[in-house]
Amino acid sequence: MRVLVVGMNHRTAPLEVRERFAVQDPAPHLAKLVACEEIDEALLLSTCNRIEVVALTRQLDAARHRLRAFFHRELGGETVQGDTPFEHLLFEYLDGPAMRQVFRVAASLDSMVVGEPQILGQMKHAYRAAFECGACGPILSRLFQSAFAAAKRVRRETRIGERPVSVARVAVDLAKQIFESFEDKTALLVGAGEMIETALEALRAEGLRSILIANRTQSHAETLAQRFGATARPLGELRELVPRADIVLTCTAGESPVLGVAEFVEAIRTRHGRPVFVIDLGVPRNVDPAVNRLDGVYLYDIDDLAGVAASNADERRRETMLAEAIVLEEQQRFDGWLLALQAVPTIRNLRTRAEAIRLGELQRVLKRLNLDEAQRRGVESLTRSIVNKLLHAPVSRLRAEAEREEGLAYLEAARVLFALDQPEGSDAEAAGPAALDDVLPADVPDSEDSEDV
Amino acid sequence: MIVALHQLTAALYLAAGLLAGVGLVLARPTLSRAAVAVLVAGAALHGVAFAAFHLATEPPPLTDLPASVSLMAWLGVLFYLSLLMRSRLTALVVGVAPMAFLGAFFAALRLPHSEHAPFVGAASSWPHAHILLASGGLASLAVAFLAGIVFLAEDRRLKAKRPISGRLRLPSLEALDRVNAVALVIGFPLLTLGVLTGMMWVEGMSGRFWTGAAHEIWSMAAWAVYGVLVAARFRAHQGARQAALAAVFGFTFLLFAVIGVGLLT
Repeated sequence: MRVLVVGMNHRTAPLEVRERFAVQDPAPHLAKLVACEEIDEALLLSTCNRIEVVALTRQLDAARHRLRAFFHRELGGETVQGDTPFEHLLFEYLDGPAMRQVFRVAASLDSMVVGEPQILGQMKHAYRAAFECGACGPILSRLFQSAFAAAKRVRRETRIGERPVSVARVAVDLAKQIFESFEDKTALLVGAGEMIETALEALRAEGLRSILIANRTQSHAETLAQRFGATARPLGELRELVPRADIVLTCTAGESPVLGVAEFVEAIRTRHGRPVFVIDLGVPRNVDPAVNRLDGVYLYDIDDLAGVAASNADERRRETMLAEAIVLEEQQRFDGWLLALQAVPTIRNLRTRAEAIRLGELQRVLKRLNLDEAQRRGVESLTRSIVNKLLHAPVSRLRAEAEREEGLAYLEAARVLFALDQPEGSDAEAAGPAALDDVLPADVPDSEDSEDV
Repeated sequence: MIVALHQLTAALYLAAGLLAGVGLVLARPTLSRAAVAVLVAGAALHGVAFAAFHLATEPPPLTDLPASVSLMAWLGVLFYLSLLMRSRLTALVVGVAPMAFLGAFFAALRLPHSEHAPFVGAASSWPHAHILLASGGLASLAVAFLAGIVFLAEDRRLKAKRPISGRLRLPSLEALDRVNAVALVIGFPLLTLGVLTGMMWVEGMSGRFWTGAAHEIWSMAAWAVYGVLVAARFRAHQGARQAALAAVFGFTFLLFAVIGVGLLT
């Protein structure tokens, strides 16, 4: 049984390619995939940064071709044009690295912004969709639940997602240290460029509603105002607008500052001392740095914000190492479970073989002895007890060793010593397989228990 | 019994303070939340201590310094917990809990004497009214003092552009300033009523509203200082930073006037 991951992400394919592969409803695609003989289980994860198929297969080459064809034909790879051949847009991981990829994605270690929390929810959603349409069986279920558990540990035990690393998020984070809420606050935007827009989106996400936009080109201000439900005002009114603003966000071209100490002294007086947070994203700066010396005015320019963002990114990098160690630990736990699962057929064969021998010998002996019913039951119980006691030690050892990498040698030895790969007689078939519960390791928990999905 | 309850209360306040301190240093908000839970338990036990006090000696001798300090600590905790329900002020527990501990611990050390002390003016209700109102005023102004200290530290950090640990959520400047305003709105009228009832108490004992004792002079001066601070805050629209500075200065002066002068004379 092999785990295979084929997909594309923000590192292998640009956004304009990824967006063409985005899947809204994975169920029909998954149904088609698991209907193929070579795919046993499958899960499709589609987010803005990645489209990945995680598959379980016993026919590796066929599955590999199937998944590549799936991207090429099913998801529209044929239509992709550009210098990079389509094949190069896809990545592929097998077994250990494939499982590691699942764990790292869930823990947000493979995200464009490491530590962002959305990916875990998106993965849970993808898992639920695959589970509900029957594409996700016990092994992939266990893999994803282990990955979710690892992601939760990473979030709980590290500070990987705590501090913002983008300039816009840093600005919002600082604003939250000044203001209790944004619902009753007003923001004044001076400029209408991309930087302003990004910061505005971040502030709106926190509940900011009242927005004034002043720009040299009035039409740009009006376009932006229309998009965000804001009010566009001429740049000439800036002096009157500043006192109304709790947050002033500037990013406009110009050699000299558009706002100085005088404007803010007046604003603070008019605002009866209520604080103002000034975010100056302009280069050269749009706000006189002396403004920061005024009581109640907190001025951060692009370098200040970038400095905080860089310091946060450093801390995230330090936390990433800790997170990688957690992911590795959880992955090893899953590997142990998976290896133990490989012992199941061997132990089942061993029990079947022993049971077949016991029944064959028992029938042969019973034909020759004239025993009453109680005696027959006694002999039958005796033989079963002997077989169970003989098998107990090797089966226990196989279970224990199977969870380790060297366990495969034990399994191989058992197959040779007990001649499990030789054709069995019809009597052995008649005995039937042992129950799965008998051969599964005792400490393997029920896969449904470990994660709330 | 009352002393034992105070000792237990002090232990809980101390535990809350330690939890909050460790939570602040390690930037673990769960520890700060646990500190608040322990503080709530301490406040409940403190309430039981006062109930026991009331049952043991009716009316309880609140006019003694240990009992009034204990009452002030308890009211301060209750005031903080009521503010906590409205704003993100969990981190402030790091100041409230040690302050409450000092009050409860001081009472636990000194209460055995006060239980047997003669109760001055037991026949009148003015002393009790005075202690209740003045303690309430002091307690709310004590919380304003703590909020002021955190405000000044936060203001300095934001001006210096020093980032804080992401998990650590200190109260916003806006929330701290609101605490200051609410504390003044509640604290100053209580303090005023405390001064008036104190004068009635003095009048009941000496026949005069004003005897010119050091304690009276300093208390009146502290009340006047707070009057100026309230006027600056609400009439002259003082800025948040000045208000925080004023809260720190005002409470330090008040503490000296009410408790320090009492201990020195």
